[in-house]
Amino acid sequence: MATPASTSANSSSKRHSILPPVSQAGPKPPVQFSSSITIADSALLTGSHTILAGSESVIHPRARLDSSGGRITIGRRCIVHERSIVGGNAATVTLSPSRGSKTSDTLLSPLPSSAGVTLADYVLVDVGAVIEAGDTVVGEGTTVGVGARVCAGAVVGKHCTLTPHTVVAAGDVVPDFTVIYSKGLRRRDLRGVPELRNKGQARQIEVLRRMIPSNPGKFSS
Amino acid sequence: MSPARPTSTIAELRASIADKRTTHPRLHEHSPRVTTMSRRPPRGEYIETDTGNKVARKATLVGTQNIMLGGKTVIQPEVMIRGDLVRSVQSASAASSSGPPANNTAVSIGRYCFLSRASCLRPSGRLYKGAFTYMPLRMGDHVFVGHGSVVQAASVGSHVHIGARVVVGELAIIKDYVRVLDDSIIPPNMVIPSFSIVAGQPARVIGEVPEGGHEAFELRDLYKTVGNNPHPVPT
Repeated sequence: MATPASTSANSSSKRHSILPPVSQAGPKPPVQFSSSITIADSALLTGSHTILAGSESVIHPRARLDSSGGRITIGRRCIVHERSIVGGNAATVTLSPSRGSKTSDTLLSPLPSSAGVTLADYVLVDVGAVIEAGDTVVGEGTTVGVGARVCAGAVVGKHCTLTPHTVVAAGDVVPDFTVIYSKGLRRRDLRGVPELRNKGQARQIEVLRRMIPSNPGKFSS
Repeated sequence: MSPARPTSTIAELRASIADKRTTHPRLHEHSPRVTTMSRRPPRGEYIETDTGNKVARKATLVGTQNIMLGGKTVIQPEVMIRGDLVRSVQSASAASSSGPPANNTAVSIGRYCFLSRASCLRPSGRLYKGAFTYMPLRMGDHVFVGHGSVVQAASVGSHVHIGARVVVGELAIIKDYVRVLDDSIIPPNMVIPSFSIVAGQPARVIGEVPEGGHEAFELRDLYKTVGNNPHPVPT
């Protein structure tokens, strides 16, 4: 047993010259997770504001939640897929007030206090999508497609569909039941199936809860 | 082992991943043995397995036990493959015949496939008889997947070229000898017939692969140009 100890001492002197581990760069953000969420071990949480996640939401491996701009609120039964980025536009950090009061307002205000991100219930953020920070709101039952981008301050309504590679401009307001195609064409969703879609998402979450090994304890300090 | 299709690579890949775990520079610091008394050759960017797969150490493979590689497949850095999303409802035929647990393969890839940097393969999901299930993603031989593309298809045939930044929608079926141009978005459930050229947002068939244009799909030469001691690109 003497040799591993000596080698570890040897490696600790070596360690500083090598790249720091990627997974925990920066401070660990304060989190408020519902007890029933599923969050993969390799999800990346950074920033200094609170990250809230509602009941039965699923966060896939390698999804990145960055609360450096403001609080991130994720509603109930949301799915955040791998490689997507929620929050974290460094430009908005300067707009946010000092983060000294963050512990008191976590319990009091239901809305983000600074330039954060709010995902309502049943939101699906697909692979590689980006939702920038800056009081960005994504309404209930909205699907953000693969590689889509919701820029800072945009408000996306309920039950919208953003097809892959769509860009919603900063400060844009998207009404409820809108389908946006990647060339900017918009259409109203007249199918009238939001309940069915939400039901399907609930089924998907049931399956994902069994498949993704969840480790919320890793993120709570 | 069936002689037709070498699928012995799971254990091999597992072993290589286990090797990756112990020596992965992101997960762990460099082991001190490297500097002191290593008899192993210096580690390259890729793990090269016995069947010729070249898997980048910086690729993210989730659920490796459910990923099948046919051999001579290149997986570049930052590629992500979701092998953990396995079928959760067995189809009627599989359920009746299976005594031992049926094959749980989530992603199967043929020979001479090339997954470019930052591409992502994931099985697609759907509601089947009222229950949600993922469907396995099957990929043939000589499939090229371009930079940053996301493939959620049900099946991709052989000799398919998928360009960069392409999104292949859920449960799409791509047949053999198909060329998908850059930035295409293939809508969910689309079926693309053989010898098509596909482009657009949403993708449509815009042409046909010309007579004698099949050799362009061969990836054997491309395979040789990557790895730990790559051959130079033929000019």
